[in-house]
Amino acid sequence: MTVQLASILGLWGSYLPSFMRGLVITMEITGLGLAVAVVLGAILAGFKLSKFKALRVIATVYVDIIRSIPVLVLLFLAYYGLGQLGLTLSGIASATAALGAFYAALLCEIFRGGVQGVERGQREAADALGLGRVSGFVRVILPQAVLRILPPSTNQLSNIIKDSSLVVTIGVADLMARSYEASATTFEPMDMFVLAGLIYMALYLVIARAIGRWELNVQRRRG
Amino acid sequence: MSAITLYTGAMLQGAVITLELTAGATVVSLIAGAAGAVGRLYGPRTLKAFIFGYVETIRGLPAILQLFILYFGLTQFGIDVPAYWAAFIWLCLYGTGYAIEIFRAGLQGIPEGQHEATAALGLTRFEAMRRVIIPQAWVAMLPALTNFVVLELKNTTLVYFIGVQDIMFHARLGVSNSGQPLAIYGIAALIYIVLNGTISRVGGILEKRAAIAS
Repeated sequence: MTVQLASILGLWGSYLPSFMRGLVITMEITGLGLAVAVVLGAILAGFKLSKFKALRVIATVYVDIIRSIPVLVLLFLAYYGLGQLGLTLSGIASATAALGAFYAALLCEIFRGGVQGVERGQREAADALGLGRVSGFVRVILPQAVLRILPPSTNQLSNIIKDSSLVVTIGVADLMARSYEASATTFEPMDMFVLAGLIYMALYLVIARAIGRWELNVQRRRG
Repeated sequence: MSAITLYTGAMLQGAVITLELTAGATVVSLIAGAAGAVGRLYGPRTLKAFIFGYVETIRGLPAILQLFILYFGLTQFGIDVPAYWAAFIWLCLYGTGYAIEIFRAGLQGIPEGQHEATAALGLTRFEAMRRVIIPQAWVAMLPALTNFVVLELKNTTLVYFIGVQDIMFHARLGVSNSGQPLAIYGIAALIYIVLNGTISRVGGILEKRAAIAS
């Protein structure tokens, strides 16, 4: 038993550096995908809250369609499909596009809900104080909406981390792909996947804790 | 053009496998999830802790990693699960983790006063569940359950990797034979849009009915 444990730990030790390089790529894809999703999601939410019907329709159609396509299909469309149009994307760029496009649809709904959840009276109060449309939104509505937006957005972030593992299918050397390769070379697949799983869990816990602390800070400053 | 028609036909055949896996895993997951939620809420302490750990593990790990653990990982111990069954068992285990959370949230969402009211009416615990708590929780859970089926269906896309002949499997075969990724993955996307759209539509109708009935 102890011999076995020692050999597993030894194996883990020798693969850890490679897994950590994979983790960097996982975090890179997650960060880039999240950035695209937040920006695009905010724009879409703006469309949904717009007074122009055409913009609202565009956002609604986008959200409804993208949400029902599996991320893997979006990834293949970005990686193989766009190449056919002469727009060849690297694996990481394809993953960024696919995750960004998909999670923008989910974040759009979260952002819209957060802004709409702020009571009407707050808007009226901002108007009464003579704040313009923009500064009323930035200084009164948005700070209150953030509190409603953060928790569900954190959930989506953890989903982006997990979905970034799909790049194993297009040959990007992320954490998942490295554990898959190691599973074939060591003939000890379970040991390799368990190590990858522990790293994914640790990454999620660290990020969740950091965001939780930020949320507390935001709440405290609000009083 | 004919290549695309050919592979569209193959993808539609794959859709049967996709739907089969989705439906089977959904049924198993909902039953196991309901039992798990009851255990999580009312069971003895060790059972509660075990179910909590199970749910967190399933929700914390990437889906594809879980599938690989079942299909490739177990071979390390000499357990060789056929691809189709590995896919099915994974979808059930994965779905159960999410279903437990949905049922738990649904049951916990019923105000304490409802439980007290059933006690005041002299209903047994089982009767109270069946006639008061579950009918209300059901209405509240319907949107989450619709999303659940969509999630399971989207998850089936990963099973092509281990050789199960679902929509994606045939799509990839078609792409490598025809060199038309945009058209073929586009059609695959369309098939998924139709399937998921139908599930959402049915869920919407059920929600409306449940809302009227209550």
